[in-house]
Amino acid sequence: MKYRVYVFFKNGILDPEAEAIKKTLHTSGFRKIKSLTKGKFFDIDTSGKNSKDEISSLSEKILSNPIIENFKIKKIDN
Amino acid sequence: MISIVVFPGSNCDRDLKVAIEKTLKKKVDMVWHKTAHIKKSDMIFVPGGFSFGDHLRAGILATKSPAMKEVERLSKKGVPIIGICNGFQILTECKLLPGILIKNTNPKFLCKSIDLKVDNNSIFTSSFKNNQIIKLPIAHSQGNYFADKKVLNSLEDNNQVILRYCSPKGQINNNFNPNGSMNNIAGIINSSKNVFGLMPHPERAIDLTKQADGILFFKSLNMYL
Repeated sequence: MKYRVYVFFKNGILDPEAEAIKKTLHTSGFRKIKSLTKGKFFDIDTSGKNSKDEISSLSEKILSNPIIENFKIKKIDN
Repeated sequence: MISIVVFPGSNCDRDLKVAIEKTLKKKVDMVWHKTAHIKKSDMIFVPGGFSFGDHLRAGILATKSPAMKEVERLSKKGVPIIGICNGFQILTECKLLPGILIKNTNPKFLCKSIDLKVDNNSIFTSSFKNNQIIKLPIAHSQGNYFADKKVLNSLEDNNQVILRYCSPKGQINNNFNPNGSMNNIAGIINSSKNVFGLMPHPERAIDLTKQADGILFFKSLNMYL
């Protein structure tokens, strides 16, 4: 079973990297861009029962820090 | 015996060892992160650096080391634990200290000396005068202390903020906040007051001919030992 876990900042958490990317886009001529957020994703191949619960647990405990980040899990085909 | 936990990527461990030996005249045990049993220690340091390359989030991978499980266990027994810079990040990621250190508002790596105001009401700062202004080096790109409002209020109400960035005259405001930390926080202790995390590097300020304000930290620890 394969899952993709997306980890991204909660609303209101300042992400200076995203701000820097947005500024660069503006100066590169993409002036219509109003906002930009960035995050990361992890593709995880796992086996066994309750694999979704396992993915959820590791996403909460390790892949994200709930103080500043949210995560989303999506099942993917290969 | 004083222990220093060493991870792949630690780079302040040796400086810390030298500082402890010079100022406290104590034997230092360098504990490799894979060690599952830490010998009887009067105090444990988690040093600065880039443990595990800061992959995923600064500090998170180090929290899964066997030695950190020992640090967590011993902290519950009241052993003083001190995390400096990356060590502070590790202590927040393993929840021995509340909050988290995120990227600096200006995402540059900061490497300079900075003014700090000290609250002397802790075993880690008892040799300072209260509200003493000192100078210590900082060297980080993720030192921006963040916590939700509830945690922040409880830190303030229980006097757990013991180091703040300030002006040379001691004013605490945004102009003298190098990284965007909430309430200019540079160092906090836990509610049981035996775990201390700080971004500045006292171990790099023990030279009497140059910067020496770090010595008072170690003197405070000497009073405790």
